[in-house]
Amino acid sequence: MSSAAGPDPSEAPEERRFLRSLQPQLPDMGRAELSSNATTSLETEAWGSVPSHSVPSTAEAAALERELLEDYRFGRQQLVELCGHASAVAVTKAFPLPALSRKQRTVLVVCGPEQNGAVGLVCARHLRVFEYEPTIFYPMRSLDLLHRDLTTQCEKMDIPFLSYLPTEVQLINEAYGLVVDAVLGPGVEPGEVGGPCTRALATLKLLSIPLVSLDIPSGWDAETGSDAEDGLRPDVLVSLAAPKRCAGRFSGRHHFVAGRFVPDDVRRKFALRLPGYTGTDCVAAL
Amino acid sequence: MSSAAGPDPSEAPEERRFLSTAEAAALERELLEDYRFGRQQLVELCGHASAVAVTKAFPLPALSRKQRTVLVVCGPEQNGAVGLVCARHLRVFEYEPTIFYPMRSLDLLHRDLTTQCEKMDIPFLSYLPTEVQLINEAYGLVVDAVLGPGVEPGEVGGPCTRALATLKLLSIPLVSLDIPSGWDAETGSDAEDGLRPDVLVSLAAPKRCAGRFSGRHHFVAGRFVPDDVRRKFALRLPGYTGTDCVAAL
Repeated sequence: MSSAAGPDPSEAPEERRFLRSLQPQLPDMGRAELSSNATTSLETEAWGSVPSHSVPSTAEAAALERELLEDYRFGRQQLVELCGHASAVAVTKAFPLPALSRKQRTVLVVCGPEQNGAVGLVCARHLRVFEYEPTIFYPMRSLDLLHRDLTTQCEKMDIPFLSYLPTEVQLINEAYGLVVDAVLGPGVEPGEVGGPCTRALATLKLLSIPLVSLDIPSGWDAETGSDAEDGLRPDVLVSLAAPKRCAGRFSGRHHFVAGRFVPDDVRRKFALRLPGYTGTDCVAAL
Repeated sequence: MSSAAGPDPSEAPEERRFLSTAEAAALERELLEDYRFGRQQLVELCGHASAVAVTKAFPLPALSRKQRTVLVVCGPEQNGAVGLVCARHLRVFEYEPTIFYPMRSLDLLHRDLTTQCEKMDIPFLSYLPTEVQLINEAYGLVVDAVLGPGVEPGEVGGPCTRALATLKLLSIPLVSLDIPSGWDAETGSDAEDGLRPDVLVSLAAPKRCAGRFSGRHHFVAGRFVPDDVRRKFALRLPGYTGTDCVAAL
């Protein structure tokens, strides 16, 4: 699944056509006719470093997941494990352990109640295996079995769970080396997740230590990335399986794709151009 | 969990490197029942790590097209499920796996893992040639995922038994997952007239019979044993580097 350095002429035309038929009119782009030449430069402008044909919409991302679960018979436990493990590997690439002081190895992982939070729980467990010192804030505990089991795994590995998160951001800046945002994934409305998560996100907006967001910066609109200005500003974005549309507005230090399990046929079906993974890596830098 | 070059005086002297069959089963039970790991999770972690171990022993850039073809022989029990996951990850890593899985388990995990492989266009053989030269010529290496610790050879049925008889005569490299199929997991007896793998990939921790392994590479794969469990079973595991899920012994 290694991709060539530049656009592959044999792949590009179908993929771009597919994307154009689904792409809403971009605000601020004016109503200019999108000629095939203009498309390339407009798309590059809009999406920055993210190639135009690797940005599924929220609906497409959901359809891709459904295909893996229903047609390919992947289990949710499997996919969440692969994503969480790869997210932890991405954190180690952005913040390599040997370069960190004792305090800098402490990682606060903030988990929401839905799948993004489950990925966060798995990420925290692997960070512990990799000898970081994670602490979890998971205020809205999902009742579903997968979440409960992942929580037990973390508790049994002596990963502390905070009962509340300080609203004074300086206390977080002083206690931890970095924060992992695993609160909201694509398609989850901020209003759905309850007071403690909402308050946590408000505090994280003021963070001065590094912030790593899993899949999308929590609170951003997954399609447009609106609220990117007054929303979270992560330093690192770890896109799960493939970048989401809002990743085009990400302007932090590192953008990784993590989770190397999308079969070639599915990749082609969704016209995804994924980055080239090296060797057995499950994380690739964009 | 990095280990020093020689014995570390601070490590308990009774820490050892091998698990008996009963201990391996107890460790797994603890992970499943107390730690609430799912079988799907553990099998995925072991299968993925096994595939990484194969790439360490047989790195892709050094292999010709033919040498990338891997025959994965899967039994009907958990070792076979790990083999199915291993085959899928080998495909992701751009090897060309083919699976021989003659005794298909009816359990849901096995069936789902099989579907994942089929949907990824990994071929499943309907029979394995008894003429070993045909295997030597068609594949670059073979992965033995037939029998794990505690599974009696007699339990797995004719096709698997015949496959193992053929694999004993293999001249291309053989990688065994967890234990060489057919070896007594405790004593490694039958090591002389049993399979002689070139590479042993111990899952989570080496089993007792690994002491009689004399092939080229021995890896531990599957980096998920929590420290408390490791200490409880007085296990000394090798040091994993960085984010590796495989360590060479």
